[in-house]
Order: sequence, then structure tokens, then C-alpha cells
Amino acid sequence: MLVVLARRLAQLVAVVLAVTFLAFTAMNTLGDPLFNVVGFVASVDCDAVLAGEIEDVSGQGGTATGDCQVVAEAREEFHLDEPIPIRYGRWVGDVFTGDLGTSFKNRMPVSTVLADRLPKSLLLMGMAEVFAVAVSIPWAVAAAYRANRAMDRASTVGAFGMLALPNFALGVILFYFFVVRWQVFPSRFEDDNLAVRLKSLVLPALTLGMPLAATYFRLLRTDLITTLQEDFVVMAKAKGLSNRWIMFRHALRPSLFSLVTVFGLNTAALIGGALIVEQIFSIPGLGRALVEASIRDDYPVVLGATVVIATGFVAINFVVDLAYSYLDPRVRRES
Amino acid sequence: MDAPVQTDPAEQFGAVAARRLGLGFWIAASWIILIVAVAALAPWLPIADPNETGVGGRMDGPGWSNWFGTDSNGRDMFARTIWGARVSLIVGFFSVLLGMCVGGTLGMIAGYFRGIVDRVISFSVFVLLAYPGLVLALLIVGLAGQTLPIVAMTLGILAIAPIARLSRATTLAYSEREFVAAARVLGATDRRIMIRELLPNVLIPMGALTLLGMAITIVAEGGLAFLGLSVEEGFSWGKMIVLGSAPRTLREGPWVAMFPIGAMFLTVLALNFAGDRLREYFDVRELGIGAG
Repeated sequence: MLVVLARRLAQLVAVVLAVTFLAFTAMNTLGDPLFNVVGFVASVDCDAVLAGEIEDVSGQGGTATGDCQVVAEAREEFHLDEPIPIRYGRWVGDVFTGDLGTSFKNRMPVSTVLADRLPKSLLLMGMAEVFAVAVSIPWAVAAAYRANRAMDRASTVGAFGMLALPNFALGVILFYFFVVRWQVFPSRFEDDNLAVRLKSLVLPALTLGMPLAATYFRLLRTDLITTLQEDFVVMAKAKGLSNRWIMFRHALRPSLFSLVTVFGLNTAALIGGALIVEQIFSIPGLGRALVEASIRDDYPVVLGATVVIATGFVAINFVVDLAYSYLDPRVRRES
Repeated sequence: MDAPVQTDPAEQFGAVAARRLGLGFWIAASWIILIVAVAALAPWLPIADPNETGVGGRMDGPGWSNWFGTDSNGRDMFARTIWGARVSLIVGFFSVLLGMCVGGTLGMIAGYFRGIVDRVISFSVFVLLAYPGLVLALLIVGLAGQTLPIVAMTLGILAIAPIARLSRATTLAYSEREFVAAARVLGATDRRIMIRELLPNVLIPMGALTLLGMAITIVAEGGLAFLGLSVEEGFSWGKMIVLGSAPRTLREGPWVAMFPIGAMFLTVLALNFAGDRLREYFDVRELGIGAG
């Protein structure tokens, strides 16, 4: 068991390393990270200017040797003068000591930026998932209980329709009715106290949670109907147990497999994947930090956020694996 | 409260309906064909120029002269919705095509050869999945430019990992089957087995996935639009929804956002439904004992 766990953990670390290396290389080869630190001069061939090969044309609005010194200093400060693998190695080393680097934009430590943004994203994710699970489990149980009856059919159609409505479209529709027309909720994120914060996250959480609820409903309903065909359910009925008891004590737990898997994947995706919803409702969460940083080539922030998101993804996958063994004793015995 | 729990074995396998596409499928297919047709024929249709301002008043509601109303520049929303379909559909189709070609091939190679090849490919696929999709899109589109080919290519790259996963799983299942073993005994090369024996079987579930994939990429393109990364020239449904969803526009003319939302919703619904039905139709494994 321990060996299996250790191997899984090593695999997780490898995935996080690969993801960040990918991001690191992409950020460094596709964009010019210095552009936003020192401005336009970053794009000038400063090596040539400093070596005196190109004339110093500072007087006529051209490139000054002085400007180039700024560039050179910035390069050194952010270690941009070294080859990518070495810089990546240096970066990984720093991360292990808790130093995620400094933002190019406002020179704040990346960890400070993340500490400011992550809680909001996590709160939003939590609210969305709580809503989705609280709605979908009773809904699926009720539908599967009377499968193929009117209520089940209507729910299936409703869930199918819900899933065809893009997330941002749902966001815009909710925004239109609840913010623009009826003015029930604030139009942007307010952070005065917890109650206000929760209130301004209601619509975004619904936007994320409603399609999730539909997804979970579909999975759980199908699995429940399958489970209800099993012999042990017939056995339980023969013993004279009530339908309600059979449903919740016998059928529900073994039916939760797909739900748990997809719950894990979705939760992981939501950590940084709420970008669009955060954009629509102006929530300064992790997703928006990532968008803003990507647009500005502020790669320490992009990398920091990517580490958090990728680690969350693999860690939750890990937890889902463990959850299987709780849900199904057979898995427990095999490992 | 003591209604019998559903015990019809046919329902369990979805078998009864499986061999018929049904009316719903044809309605969905008609909608898809209609949208593709009007998008393709847009320049020749008797509709207003989508970029001409002052076709109607500013922010006219839906009515006889402008069916879907006009936006704040007096442009006809009906014409714009039709023209917006062009970009959305092109992006949807070509990105899925790219994902199928690359992801499908990788998945088949991994599933067929197993071993170290499979390990490497599966690991790369997992890395791609762990990488937040929109962020990758953001990086590529933001840095390489917001042109139609690049947007389509980016979404295609995002489609590789999930498609490779499916194609690997399907290949794994089929390469254990007798007809593959038979071909090998007859001396067929790996290449021949993969193309002649496995590909036709893998293509069927993948074909149905094309429609579902198109639905996903059309939505994903809309997502990119919300991050300001849709195509720069021209417009897609996603970009139209973004433009219409500014608080002021929503207050004065909700139809500017709602008609493209409606068009996208119906199209995604139709693609999902048709894709689902096709998958069930071709998925022989789901045929229970009940179906003849």
C-alpha cells in the first residue's frame, strides 16, 4: 500500500514539473517578458548598442545606451541572461523554498498576489460545488426512484438543455435579470465582510453550479438505475426493507463512482478554470490574475498560478483515487 | 411512495431506442444543416450587410424591418447572427478535425503498441489535461495573434488530449479481439492492422464525438471571446455575446446579446443531441438482449 502511494506521489510531482516546464518554456519563447518592465526599448537589439555596433541615437528618439543599461539590469535581476533550463532549475529551487518570484508588473511577490486571489476562487469553487451536489443528489435519487415517469423524463430533458447552455451565456442571462433588471445583486465583487462577499458570489456560483448539477444528475441517475438492477437490491427488497432505506443505505453508495470521479475533475478544473465567470462578474480571483498576467507576459505570476492549478488538479485526482477505496471495499482489498 | 423501482432490463442498456435514430435526431440534424447552409450562403442571402451601420435606428427592438433588432450602431442583428455563425462553425469544424487527426493517431499508436510508447504518450496527454486549457489557449492566441487559423488551431490543440484518451481506450479494447489476432497470424504488418482492422472500429465512436466536439469548441471559442481573444477581424457568436453583454448594452437592448446566445444554445443543443443519438446508434456494445 505504501509503495503504491509513494509511486503515485512521485507521478504527481512529475506531472506538476512537466506542466510548469511547458509553461516556463512557452512564456519564454513566445513572448518578450521584459516589454512590460522597461517598455518599448526591450525589443531593441541592445547587445549591439552596448557593443557600440549601432550608433547611440538617443537625441533623435532612438535607443539610448542608458536605456539599454536599464534593460541589461532588468535582465540580470530576473536572470533572463541565462539559458532556459538553468533558469527553470533555479525557479524550481526557489519554489521549494517558498519563493515564487516577483511579479514583473508591480514587483510584488507572486506569493502575495496568489494569497490575495486564491481564497476568492476557492470560495467561489466551494459555493458552486456545494450547490451542485446539494441539488443533484436528491434530484437524481428522486428521478431514479421513479425512472421513466414524467418527473424523470422532464428532469432528463431539463438537464440535457442545461448542458447545452454555455457557461458564459448562463452568466450573461443571470446578470441581465438579477443585476441589470431587478438589481438584486451587486454588479461587481464587493469585499467588505463575509456576508457581502458571499452575496456577490451567489450569481457566479450559480453560473458555475447549475451546469455542474446537471452533469452530476445525469451521471448519478444512470448509475442508480443500474445499481437498482443488482441482485443485492432484490435481496434487500425480499427482506422487506423499505424502498427509502434501500435507496439511501444500499444503492446510493455504490452508485457514486462516476460522480466522485467527475466531481474531482471538475473541482480541479474550477480552481483556476472560473476565468470566464470571474471576468463576467468582475471577481478578482485566481483565474483573472492568470488572464491579466498572461496578457502582460508577467510570467512569474502565470507560473505561480499554474503551479497552484496543476498541483490542485493532480492532488484532487489523487484524493479521488483514495475515495474509490472508501466507496468500494473491493478496491481497498486489491491494493 | 412505494412505487416499484424501475426494473426493465431493456431500459438499463438503452437498447429499445438504440437502433432507431428517432424524430429528435432528424429535427436536430435539420437545424444543423440549416445553420450550416445559411452560414455558407450568407453573402448571397437577401439580408442586410452585417457591418453597415444605420440599417435601422440605434438599439431598435426586434420587429418587422430588423427581425432580431439592431445594435448600438444600428447594425442589423439578424444579418450579424448569420454571419457570426460562419466564424463559429469554421472554428468548431477545423479544430475538431485537427484534434481528431493528431489525437486520434496518437491514441491509436499508444493503445496498439503499449509499453514504453504508451507510457510516454499517456503521460503527455495527462500533462496536457493537467494544464489549464484556457490558459494554454490564452498563451498561444495572445502571443501568436488573433487570426481565424490560429484560434482554430489553438482549440484543436486543446482537443488533442481528450480525443487521444478516447481513441487509446477504444484501440486497447479492440486490439484484444479475435479478428486482430487473426490478422496478425495471417502475417499482416502493424501498419496494416492499424489501418485496415482497427481504424474502422475506432472511427465510429470518434465520428459521433465529432459533433459533440464541435459543440464544445464552439463554446470554447465563445470563452476565448470573453477573455478578449476571439478573432480580431470579423466576429463569431461568442464575440457578439461579449459585445452585447456590457451592462449598458444589456440594459438598453438585451436582444443584442440574447439572439446570439439563442443561436449558440440551439446549435450546441442540436450538436449534442445528434452526437449522442449517433453514438448510441453505432455503439453495438450498448445493445442489450432486448434488441433484435
